Amino acid sequence: MGETISLQELFATLKKRLWLIIGTTLTAILAAIVISYFFLTPIYQASTQILVNKAEATTDFDSSDIQTNLQLINTYTVIIKSPVILSHVIESLDLGITPAALNTQLTVNSEQNSQVVSVTVQDPEPHKAVDIANTTAEVFQKEIVHLMQVDNVTILSPAMYADDPTPVRPNKRLNIAIATVIGLMAGVGIAFLLEYLDTTVKTEHDVEELLNLPLLGLISPISDREVGVGRVIKQKGVDPHGK
Amino acid sequence: MVNKISRKKKRQAKRFVGRKLVTQSNSKSSVSEQFRTLRTNINFSMPDQELKTILFTSAAQGEGKSTISANTAIVFAQAGKKVLLIDADMRKPTTHYTFNRMNATGLSNLLTRNWEIKDVIQKTDIEGLDLITSGPIPPNPAELLGSKTMDHVLEQLTGMYDLLLFDAPPVLNVTDAQILSHRCDGTIIVLHARKTEKDSVVKAKEALLSSQANIIGTVLNNFERQKDHYYNQYYGNVEAGT
Repeated sequence: MGETISLQELFATLKKRLWLIIGTTLTAILAAIVISYFFLTPIYQASTQILVNKAEATTDFDSSDIQTNLQLINTYTVIIKSPVILSHVIESLDLGITPAALNTQLTVNSEQNSQVVSVTVQDPEPHKAVDIANTTAEVFQKEIVHLMQVDNVTILSPAMYADDPTPVRPNKRLNIAIATVIGLMAGVGIAFLLEYLDTTVKTEHDVEELLNLPLLGLISPISDREVGVGRVIKQKGVDPHGK
Repeated sequence: MVNKISRKKKRQAKRFVGRKLVTQSNSKSSVSEQFRTLRTNINFSMPDQELKTILFTSAAQGEGKSTISANTAIVFAQAGKKVLLIDADMRKPTTHYTFNRMNATGLSNLLTRNWEIKDVIQKTDIEGLDLITSGPIPPNPAELLGSKTMDHVLEQLTGMYDLLLFDAPPVLNVTDAQILSHRCDGTIIVLHARKTEKDSVVKAKEALLSSQANIIGTVLNNFERQKDHYYNQYYGNVEAGT
């Protein structure tokens, strides 16, 4: 329909369906809370930092050494995630999963242009995450000697067991925030859809615009109170049936 | 004994809660005031011509024709007019329920020439308001309403009363309202807020116009007033005298 909708009408629609909008928003928030707290497995994270440097102590550092190390790091990040290392980790921790599965739990990244590499592990069990992170670093440190004939990897800071670990996922606050926005949008969307689908006459303006006839009267819903169900009985004199 | 009667009456009042004669039972209420406004507007709607016969109809059923025609009849009677309310809906009559009357004889008897006018008119509790119920449901209401006898009956009744109000069937379902509207001085379309479809009421208006009805206006029923709506502010003390 080619009718224009004024801003006032938009607000009137929103106001009329306010409870619908609040309802959908609350439902979405509730769903997000229930899902985040009861259905999604919390995932804990632990990370170990590894320093890559030449083992032999040289007094004169030159920039080319650092460059070499930085390039090595790129290689190392690939090696850490390779099945060669991961199968050792699985074996020593007796994890009973495939290297590919472990690979998905593992992220390796170098701290921006530095020689520090951090191995981050995510696991439903906080202690296991710490174990895997530390074992991976240790295995890598041992294996790299065989693989590249260099011993230039030091464990900078091993992952620590936390007394009260907080899961990194699900991010409850973020989930609730997203649910709020989605719920609000859905509510507003449904409100406008209902308004659009509702082709009934609603106001006196509708009647006058639609029919181009004078509106002679507005009659409100007649409540029981207004009919005076109780009052008629009291007024015996008025009631013709009252004898 | 008195308690027993009043309890019974209370039950009855509850049972007929669908038809609310608010203008009779509580003439101080704001809804009654709305009906008086309607009465004034009907009076002013045709200044050049006296409206003696008014038809109430709507697009579809259940939009409040019967309630509004009954209450309007009461407020006209309260204004001192001699009013006759006629239930012209011979398919689904309800007016006899509204006024708690029998429907053994009525309009259908008149139109099949079985009865005299004085025999079918029923008095109501309201002074100045008489009633003709629909009578037994005939097989051919449209033919009866379009008959010469109807013209004859109308002529006689307009001589007896100041105002005739017809409660007609819905326009879109049957042709009765169109036939009758052609014979009435004025037709009023009743709309039910949030129920009457825009398309259907436009069709109803066209149908009435095609039968050369004189549509004097509309009444919007079930209109929920905003709290700050100016109609809500009763001029004077509402509770006074109750």
